[in-house]
Amino acid sequence: MNLKPVLVLSLMFVLAPVWIGTIWTGALRIRGRASRVLHAWVFGFATMLAAGQLVFVPMVALGRKLSEAQAVWEFCMELLAAAAFVLFLVKRGGQLFAGEKDSAAGTDLKKNAAADKKDCAEGGRRVFPIIFGVLAAVLILLQAYIPARYEHSDDDDARFIAEAVSAVVHDSMYQDSPIEADFMYWDVGEVRKDLTSPWAMFLAMQSNICGLAPAVLAHSYLPFFLILLCYGLYALIGSELFGGDREKTALFLIFLSVIHLFGYTSTHTLASMLLLRIWQGKAVCASFLLPLLFYLFCRILKGKGTAETALLYVTAAGGCMLSGIGIVTSPIVLMIYGIVDFCRHRKWKRLLAVWGAALPCAVFLGYYLFGFR
Amino acid sequence: MEYVHAVWEEFLNFIGGRGGLLHWLLFCAALACCFFWGKRERRLLVWPSALALLLFFNPVFFKYVGTRFLTGVYWRLLWMLPISFVIAYTLTRLAAGVKRDVLRVGVIVLACVCIAVSGRAVFTPETYREKENEYELPDAAIHICDYIMGQLQSWKETVIVPNELLCSIRQYSTSVCLLYGRNAGGFISDIGEEEAAVYAQMSSETPDVAFVTRVAGEKNCRFIVFNTDFHRIPEDLTGYGYELAAVIDDVYAVYRRAE
Repeated sequence: MNLKPVLVLSLMFVLAPVWIGTIWTGALRIRGRASRVLHAWVFGFATMLAAGQLVFVPMVALGRKLSEAQAVWEFCMELLAAAAFVLFLVKRGGQLFAGEKDSAAGTDLKKNAAADKKDCAEGGRRVFPIIFGVLAAVLILLQAYIPARYEHSDDDDARFIAEAVSAVVHDSMYQDSPIEADFMYWDVGEVRKDLTSPWAMFLAMQSNICGLAPAVLAHSYLPFFLILLCYGLYALIGSELFGGDREKTALFLIFLSVIHLFGYTSTHTLASMLLLRIWQGKAVCASFLLPLLFYLFCRILKGKGTAETALLYVTAAGGCMLSGIGIVTSPIVLMIYGIVDFCRHRKWKRLLAVWGAALPCAVFLGYYLFGFR
Repeated sequence: MEYVHAVWEEFLNFIGGRGGLLHWLLFCAALACCFFWGKRERRLLVWPSALALLLFFNPVFFKYVGTRFLTGVYWRLLWMLPISFVIAYTLTRLAAGVKRDVLRVGVIVLACVCIAVSGRAVFTPETYREKENEYELPDAAIHICDYIMGQLQSWKETVIVPNELLCSIRQYSTSVCLLYGRNAGGFISDIGEEEAAVYAQMSSETPDVAFVTRVAGEKNCRFIVFNTDFHRIPEDLTGYGYELAAVIDDVYAVYRRAE
């Protein structure tokens, strides 16, 4: 890996999503700096996917150029980034006006820090969160590094990467066959599915932005960032399941890493998707989108409010971009979560709100089935 | 009954047969633990998993949804199950429940060893190998493309390549197009009869060169690439209208249509 693309990609796959995701962390009132950053990264990336889906599908259907779709998507991102900045300023302004409150909070923090120190002095049990944390970090970095450093070839790339290469070179979207390069538009064979799940165009656009060939980006760079992103999400899931207990969360990540490292029982398992071909839309769907829906469900079930539900809509829309399986599984998962939530809270409004998040999927599925011909 | 059997096949396909059975049993055991641990675990982990499994194993659902929208990929519905999260959660709770530090570390190590032994490693020489280049494509595919791109007569050239390069060529270049590619294996799009016949010939050690060159000529393929380690063909194809233009990486003989 060269340094320059790594820096550009860090901007695109870490800093930009984190910045955009701060819109959500403000709305969700996430506490703790590390937790805020992780939440912002995960939700920001989901937002980028959803925006991509809303921009790319109509533009592919209209036969527009990749560069045009890219310009519209970038404009959307700039708007979101500006909105995040405004929200940040408003929040800062609010904090400045509430100076007294802050100083009181500061005193609380000092007290907490003193209590922590006391705890540390109390015994060796405090060492374990650090040991487990380091071990988890090592295992996660190893999983992110190997797919980027070594080569794994997958025949499905003959479609996805070829589509992206053609889009970059011809500045078009799904207009020539990924095999013969004959003009075909998108309505042929499996490529037809890609109209409503244009992950390959998202890849082509990122490739355009960072100046790397799609194959290089997908095989040598994306795995590193996407696997870290997935584990960022898994850390949030662990933290949610264990009520923020760091030691248990770290242990959870260790076990999860081991399960994934030895989960190659078939080429279809989550481990195989995550660690063998994470650059493909369906793998991102299995490793990121469905766990994200699960995480949001965990929060919603606790009785938390509208921001989580809104994120369900965004995530479901983003899932449609990844793969046809995202369009099918998201509504099923939402249906299941809606039922469980209804059994817990007995509120029709909540049930409808959760089920409503399947609407984007229904729209894109409907469009795939009946929308063109 | 037919659908029940089909669903079962999809399930086995997903877990990887007997090899994946132990991890699956681990998941079932973890679900059972979660069921008895309390309401929260039941709501978060058990009921969603149970509902997803009910749906997956439902032959009626398979008949109306699986066969219509998920032909050949019905197993992907099992991604909805939080398998690794449930196992990891259960093991963490069990390990965290052990009070003595040494014992706890022992339990953690034992659990990891059990997972490792009952599963199969992802990172092996079989799955990952040293990169040949940044594209993570075979060097030969890149060299062949570079050669043909230097010989372009229009914006693209259609070529016939050995089967091992079918999926790589188009990931590198849009100018080098294929007479057939992954569609020969039944993916992406339909393949024509003649293309399928050429693919069958190229899959054989002794391809019918007369047939391959005839179809290539008719389909305007200026280049045919043979793998000399595999294909046993006469070196001189001038009688068929093609001449040896280059040998790439000492293995791939590139024949160009004689003008």
